[in-house]
Amino acid sequence: MSTEEQVEREGAVATRLDDAWVTIVWNDPVNLMSYVTHVFQTYFTLTRDEAEAKMREVHERGRAVMSTGGRERMEVDVQAMHGYGLWATLQRSGE
Amino acid sequence: MRAFETRGAVAVATLDDEERAVIARIVADVGQLLDGDAFAAPAGDDDPEGSARGEADDVFRSLAGLQEPLAEPSDPAVRRVLPSASRDDREVADEFRRLTEGDLRTLKVDRLRTMWEQLSEDGDEWEVSLDEALATASALTDVRLVLAARLGLETDDDAERLHAEIDLATHAMDTDAHEDLGVDPERVWLGMLYQALTWLQESLLQCLMTGEEEQDV
Repeated sequence: MSTEEQVEREGAVATRLDDAWVTIVWNDPVNLMSYVTHVFQTYFTLTRDEAEAKMREVHERGRAVMSTGGRERMEVDVQAMHGYGLWATLQRSGE
Repeated sequence: MRAFETRGAVAVATLDDEERAVIARIVADVGQLLDGDAFAAPAGDDDPEGSARGEADDVFRSLAGLQEPLAEPSDPAVRRVLPSASRDDREVADEFRRLTEGDLRTLKVDRLRTMWEQLSEDGDEWEVSLDEALATASALTDVRLVLAARLGLETDDDAERLHAEIDLATHAMDTDAHEDLGVDPERVWLGMLYQALTWLQESLLQCLMTGEEEQDV
């Protein structure tokens, strides 16, 4: 690896530390539409219509981004979703 | 069995003794999966699960995997209830598990124990206050996730196929058909339990959502 590449790589890592993270909820065949809607409404304080739109996104596209923020904040959201029995993951935004 | 209906600030379902015993048993099994044998060890000689226990034993033998030690992340049923927080980043997943798994297990086991205690009381009615309905619905989700893992339900198509198999099997029972349908009776039995829990959970959600709408008006 050349020095130039090395510098570029380190630069990329430094930028990524500041990147936002996202919480993603994935579709599964078990969770009921009504339940997912209710959990979204309750936990993310959405209106019924907003929660239903997110639930449909999960169901039809297989996943939806539910929140954005720092890694620790996203860990809190993912833990809450797992508490409800929904499959959620966190990852860096844009990955 | 009658689905949940709202009665004041309480949702009430009606289950006969055998239905209660079967559901209490699967709830206890999932509790043990997450908490080891500490779950559902009642003081004294009472057998709250009643006489259906013997019959249910045969069926639940197929759930033998449930008795494995709790720190068994290779069990697909545990992975459904306590899933990975990352699909491809081991560091993120491990860190998350280290930080949260203990609390998540405690939350889930406590909810399951509350449900098991309610189901172990005498009487046909299962009462859940609307304040506790979301916690009960979440506990039902965990039970259904474990059953889904045992039934191999990974996709929406798998779930559709299970429903079709059960329809076929119940039709054959209704018409007293004796030909071999190629459907595993244990799978049908577990599938019917899964469907019954789904139906109960859906009715509980309807009570919960209707209750909140009325509050908003």
